[in-house]
Amino acid sequence: MLSYIIRRLLILPLILLGVTFLIFCLFSLLSPMERLATYVNNPSVLKNPQAAQRLIDKYHLDDPFPAGYIHWLKSLLKLDLGWSATANQPVWEAIMQRLPATMELVLYSIIPVILVGIWLGVISAVHHNDLLDQTIRVTAIIGWSLPTFIFGLLILFIFYGILGWLPPGRLSTWAQYIVYTSESFKHFTHFITIDALLNGRLDIFWDALKHLIAPIITLSYISWAYLLRITRSSMLETLRKDYIRTARAKGVDEKTVIYQHARKNALIPVVTVAGMMIIGMLGGVVITETVFTYPGLGFWAASSAQQLDYGSVIGFALLFAFIMVIGNLIVDISYALIDPRVRLE
Amino acid sequence: MNRIIRKLLNNTASLIGLLLLLVFILIAVFAPYLAPPLFPDPYQIPRMSWDVEPQPPGFPMSDDMRFVYESLGKPITRDKAIFGTAQGGYDIFYGLIWGTRTAFRIGIITVTLSMLIGVILGSLSAYFGGWLDELLMRITDIFLSIPFLVAAMVLTTILGRGLDKVMIALVAFGWMGYARVIRGSILSTKEEVYVMAAKALGVKDFRIIAFHLLPNTIFPVLVQASMNIGSMVVTAAALSFLGVGAPLGYADWGQMVSFARNWIIGSPGKAGEYWYAVFFPGIFIVLFVLSWNLVGDTLRDILDPRLRGEL
Amino acid sequence: MENKNRDKVLEVKNLKTYFFTEDGIVKAVDGVDFEVYQGETLGLVGESGCGKSVTAFSILKLLDYPGKTVEGQILFKEDDLLKKSEEQMRKIRGKEIAMIFQEPMTSLNPVFTIGFQIAESLKVHYKMSNLEARKKVIELLEKVGIPIPEQRVDEYPHQLSGGMRQRAMIAMALACDPVLLIADEPTTSLDVTIQAQILELMKTLLKQFNSSLIMITHDLGVIAEIADRIAVMYAGKIVEYTDTRSIFFSPLHPYTFGLLTSIPRLDMEMEKLESIPGVVPDPLHFPEGCKFHPRCGFATERCRKEEPSLLEIENGHIVRCWQVDRVREEAKKIAFTRRLAVVE
Repeated sequence: MLSYIIRRLLILPLILLGVTFLIFCLFSLLSPMERLATYVNNPSVLKNPQAAQRLIDKYHLDDPFPAGYIHWLKSLLKLDLGWSATANQPVWEAIMQRLPATMELVLYSIIPVILVGIWLGVISAVHHNDLLDQTIRVTAIIGWSLPTFIFGLLILFIFYGILGWLPPGRLSTWAQYIVYTSESFKHFTHFITIDALLNGRLDIFWDALKHLIAPIITLSYISWAYLLRITRSSMLETLRKDYIRTARAKGVDEKTVIYQHARKNALIPVVTVAGMMIIGMLGGVVITETVFTYPGLGFWAASSAQQLDYGSVIGFALLFAFIMVIGNLIVDISYALIDPRVRLE
Repeated sequence: MNRIIRKLLNNTASLIGLLLLLVFILIAVFAPYLAPPLFPDPYQIPRMSWDVEPQPPGFPMSDDMRFVYESLGKPITRDKAIFGTAQGGYDIFYGLIWGTRTAFRIGIITVTLSMLIGVILGSLSAYFGGWLDELLMRITDIFLSIPFLVAAMVLTTILGRGLDKVMIALVAFGWMGYARVIRGSILSTKEEVYVMAAKALGVKDFRIIAFHLLPNTIFPVLVQASMNIGSMVVTAAALSFLGVGAPLGYADWGQMVSFARNWIIGSPGKAGEYWYAVFFPGIFIVLFVLSWNLVGDTLRDILDPRLRGEL
Repeated sequence: MENKNRDKVLEVKNLKTYFFTEDGIVKAVDGVDFEVYQGETLGLVGESGCGKSVTAFSILKLLDYPGKTVEGQILFKEDDLLKKSEEQMRKIRGKEIAMIFQEPMTSLNPVFTIGFQIAESLKVHYKMSNLEARKKVIELLEKVGIPIPEQRVDEYPHQLSGGMRQRAMIAMALACDPVLLIADEPTTSLDVTIQAQILELMKTLLKQFNSSLIMITHDLGVIAEIADRIAVMYAGKIVEYTDTRSIFFSPLHPYTFGLLTSIPRLDMEMEKLESIPGVVPDPLHFPEGCKFHPRCGFATERCRKEEPSLLEIENGHIVRCWQVDRVREEAKKIAFTRRLAVVE
């Protein structure tokens, strides 16, 4: 097991290097001048050709390919990702400032999906029922066909436009005032829901939650249908396996057969799918945050893209690629943890 | 093949899918009759007025607009926006009809090109194996390491606005799935006797791949392709929605939805008054994707019963 | 017969198990009767699809949907198992009646150690603690001939060889000292040399544990090694039922006769190796009359029309056939003494 993890960890830098190389290739499609624009916070510099050329030399933007890549990589290691015109601050700072909001949204979306989705999948497999099967199948196909941005607008239309229950954004104005300007509100985790509870402000907690519900639903509805269906079919397949009959022949009771013998096996493929699903959510973050003007990384990236703020977009892509690579690693390791055949080769 | 067609027709879900698809094909083919263009470029959506806010279904063309089009020398055969207008007076009906052509174009071109790249790389990788396989598969892994939508958004932003740029981005990050699938099936087929026999007879590698391996391994790829047409169109629409896709005023469903974004909530006291601005484009996109998914899902069930239930 | 004064462990009476499929009712087991005595081994022989495994699963009530036992009695220690609740059955499974399955690779759960899987029945039936169970499991593994049991106990099924897996499977079945063991083709998936070892092991252990065994197999060579009495099944019914000696010496059913002449033998000069022509009939469309008649060399007009019933032809030799006398004559002609070597 340990050697497996070590081997995976050793490959990790190689993959990360490959990813940075790919993103550098994308970056190189821009002219040196456009690339320079990602490094300066004062656009007037670009109007002076000599000053601009000096900066291009300073950042090695004109260097031939390998040298240019190495210089770029060095600046990455120093966390110098350039200047975000959209956020009016360095890209790295902009990322760090918006990360908690996105994390809060993604975590709250993933956890219920995994816990409840798997639970429902198991339940529906055990109570084999054609009506339920059909409902799940149809829901999954419709969910799959309903693009996130349309679903999100629909939710916004119904729950805010008509009912007025779930407003867009992250906090109401009054709560923003308290959270961001009041001295007494302490930031422990930068997750507003948790910080509000730690500060004993139930009203702010409730306000933050109201803003989160609609984006959470939008971000995770596809995953719900998907995970439920995968768990269910995997579970049904496992329940037909010979070793399930062996367990029954030993006199093991039905509960143990299902929740111990079958579920542990059925979850092995589900882990991979859950990993893929979380990765799918990363793409969904951009759209969901844009629909609900939720001030996280995705909203910032979309605004940057519209304003051709290349530095921010590249920084965002790097971050999400890194998260994805590490997410894949975690999925592979947890796969090995639950499946002894992989663990012990 | 007959069996496949019969099964497609027998299954209610796929029948609905096929019918929907047929409707969309008809809309695309007869677009010039359903919505006669007013500009030289038919994909330019005509505006019914200069109004910023959307106008309800049945909204008539304003007089100053009529004057503009008449001076262009085009006869105005439709002077009512039957689905209403989007932000900026753009005719929703026109945008959706011509957007159908855009959708087919995006879906078919991107899927064909990415399938081609994937099939070539995947079969080279599987057939020759060794360091080439290792290299190509690591490259595939790296391309897969950036979430698809994020990658497409970045590349479109860098390349600049425009439908061709969107398609380049979608192809650049859309071929990996095909490469993996075809590699897997060729790996399992290349040890078969008839392939060995062809090799022993001295048939050229290219011929073996093209005439012996691909015909036996291409089916799962085609199923995947049919299911991907929908998702490619959705991603392109999403890019337009995010504001990095089709240029302003271009007949594209994603753009129509993006027009509706600011108006979805309605004005105070009149919640949902602009429902039509999102409803009609939304319905078009959903039905289009649904039709491909229904057909693809059934195709997969028929061709590979083992995959049933995996979606 | 000597068995008459021993205790009956199991008595199956007129067992009918049907599968209610979309295409129609499959009568997998259609009126089967047999009994198993204390300490003896009964062989249940037939080609695949003849209903022998379904019989076994019916006894433990482990039938998969859409299978259902529709009629009959399964008397275990004079109690009808078919009348027992699921909870009562659970207490019998693994403790009183245990089962050894065909494919040890798929029959063992890949995500649990073999120690855990063997200990499970001890924990379920005797409420043993982990430590006690572990000690007992190591003991059992030693008994079934697994070397270094202290280490093997923590290994997963995929780490063991096929033969070792089957030994672990046997240890699992024997964990609670069952009165009756049911082995469903326990050696089929193994190499020939390992087959012999496993059979030898089973014979030794049966004596040691004084358990009865129902041995299900299609392999007459295996059955000759281990069984005291044999029931030959064809198309859901028993066609011949007697002691092992009689089956090999003087088979009375053409099907048994066919099975015997199709055993390959190394110590025999290569004469013609006959196999039974034709295939097992489609269970949805059984032929009329005797179900074996389309493949039978002895078949007459009567066989095609009337289905024979089970009759006791000689003392304790029960056969379902109209042509018993002709089969007997034919069997005598061929030197079956050679086959006796297998029995002894």
